[in-house]
Amino acid sequence: MKLKKLALAATLASFIVGASASFAQTTLRIFTGGQQRPDVMRKIADEYEKRTPGVKIAVEVGGATSEAQQQYLNTVLTSKDSALDVVLIDVIRPAQWAAAGWAEPLDSYLGADKAKVMSQYMKAYSDANTVNGKVISLPYFADSQFLYYRKDLLAKYKRAVPKTWDELMETSQIIMQGEKNPNLRGFETAGAPIEGTVCTFLVPLWGEGSDMTKNGKLNLDTPEARQPFQLLGRLKQAGVMSPNVGEIVTDRIRINMQAGNLIFAQTWGYVWNRAQNDADSKVKGNIGVTTLPSSKTGKSATCIGGWQLAVSAFSKNKAEAVKFVRYLSSPEVSKQQAIAASHLPVFPSVYKDKEVLAANPWFEFAGPIVETAKSRPVSPRYQEVSDAIRSNMNAYLSGTKTTDVALADMKKRLEPVFK
Amino acid sequence: MKQSKELSERTLGWLLLAPVGILLALIVLYPVAKLLISSFHTIRLTEPWLGEPFVGFANYVRAWEDERFWGALWNTILYIVITVPGSLALGLGLAMLANLPFKRKWPVRLALLLPWALPLVFAGLIFRWFFDFKLGFVNDFVSRFGFDPLPWLTDPILAKIAICITIIWKSSSFMALVLLAGLQSIPKSLYEAAEVDGAGKWLQFKEITLPMLMPAIFVALIFRTITAIQTFDIPYAMTGGGPGDSTETLAMYIHKNTLDFLDFGYGSALAAIMFIVSIIATSGYLRYTQRSAGRD
Repeated sequence: MKLKKLALAATLASFIVGASASFAQTTLRIFTGGQQRPDVMRKIADEYEKRTPGVKIAVEVGGATSEAQQQYLNTVLTSKDSALDVVLIDVIRPAQWAAAGWAEPLDSYLGADKAKVMSQYMKAYSDANTVNGKVISLPYFADSQFLYYRKDLLAKYKRAVPKTWDELMETSQIIMQGEKNPNLRGFETAGAPIEGTVCTFLVPLWGEGSDMTKNGKLNLDTPEARQPFQLLGRLKQAGVMSPNVGEIVTDRIRINMQAGNLIFAQTWGYVWNRAQNDADSKVKGNIGVTTLPSSKTGKSATCIGGWQLAVSAFSKNKAEAVKFVRYLSSPEVSKQQAIAASHLPVFPSVYKDKEVLAANPWFEFAGPIVETAKSRPVSPRYQEVSDAIRSNMNAYLSGTKTTDVALADMKKRLEPVFK
Repeated sequence: MKQSKELSERTLGWLLLAPVGILLALIVLYPVAKLLISSFHTIRLTEPWLGEPFVGFANYVRAWEDERFWGALWNTILYIVITVPGSLALGLGLAMLANLPFKRKWPVRLALLLPWALPLVFAGLIFRWFFDFKLGFVNDFVSRFGFDPLPWLTDPILAKIAICITIIWKSSSFMALVLLAGLQSIPKSLYEAAEVDGAGKWLQFKEITLPMLMPAIFVALIFRTITAIQTFDIPYAMTGGGPGDSTETLAMYIHKNTLDFLDFGYGSALAAIMFIVSIIATSGYLRYTQRSAGRD
């Protein structure tokens, strides 16, 4: 009798276990930022869920800025928490993630396909995602900084799109004088102590043909290193840039552009789609996008951006996570993002796609710009590098430090990192 | 026989206290000990290959030579020196106001409680918009009187003023609550007697209210000073430490070193220094309260 009961219980138990195994559900948790269009990510994830039975995707939305996101991730990952499977990371992060051991290297998952997979991407992105020969992450979308301008205002005053910073300043002054609108400013770029302000410093520096480091050593004792300060100082002095540039964060530039308060802006690719489609945009159809101006002698340069997909080293569903990452990093998803969010593709082929070009006519020349965009300095201690640049640039733009003091303080803080 | 029973009662007492003791050890002693140990090591999570070597006082020496640490320390002291008396004065005023015989007491109490109930970061964000250069209400006000708008959050002196105003607004309601409780415990008969003797309002305040309120004032000051030493949320939300590092506090610099730079060794040393600053700052009050308790 007892034995019979036991047998019954055993069969029942095996039935339950078997049944639950056949309905096994993997939930993958992906972390993204508020500014990387989580709504578009959700749609893509819905599509993936339909195609892949047994996999559910939870989209977790973090802070609006790159550093707010990373601060949260620092806490999760230093405690080796397995809650996140896939993480969207800024293009500046793969080196840090590789050094800290937070990203699962993807080489073994890609296997023999590695070379083939990586060669489909634009070279800048296969390079950015490979650290010491290991694939740390795969690119989700590309980005770089562009010059946004008001087509209607340039036409009204019969001015050409500026090729140099001097032209930009002159055109801004003419239009500002003509419009007599106290809210209208000529130019805006990030100036608050945030990540974007690193590019505010680097773009004019690169434009002079110089760089922050040379053969891994700090290279700020050059006359070119003073150029970013002098250029932005001149723009602020002339009133072309607003006196509050020290409190301008990335998305504030978009808001000011959409409100019709800016003639020119140095910012990222996502602004196009918002300025064209947002209900409150006052500049629909009047926005142009082009390369950033250069100095008289130099060449135009820009900062590379974009977001990468890393699989957390602490994830419990690595194999499934890698599959999802490979789907997200496919030409098909790249095209979807380009149309829905004006996210720049990471595949050269998608730039030529007719539907993509219909939604974003400026992508035609955006590809070559992204292809030549430069990387911010690569270091496992990038956060310290970034902090040294942005806080001193912010102090200079707020008028609390002179060029000499800001540059000297920047060097003093960078020296221990690049020793 | 009797003695052994007493002993067992004592053991029982210790046994009953043990869970609390263990809990306190876990949540207070363990982290403090761990922090002190970390402060003598190099712990850089950005460079795990360095290991975690013992470095003696190197992190403390680094702090001594670190200009940014001194800047953050001075900013913190400045916020203490300005906002603690500031919120005491405003809080005392609010408490006296709320202690007046209103017909309806709850709207007054609610108005007192609201700033206190608001999370610190929210207060910081709200005031950041108040002081915003273009869209802020403060600059709108200033420009109505024909003045140029001021760069409140991007000028080092104005930013400190804006932050102090926010902190005082935020923290004076807590002061007021503590002082209001103190005010209500003062017997009405004292004032009646004073009035009979012909003492004016000011004399009543000086001779009755202030001395009777002293214990409450000290409690409020100790709490307020400790929170002022830890000032983080409001400047973090309003300026992020900018322009440059000119509004950064010690707590913000510790946060930057640990959570941003992942340099836990140096961050721990800074936190240990902050602990010492807290002890120095509050020991003055504690000595005073002990002395006055002895007098009673």
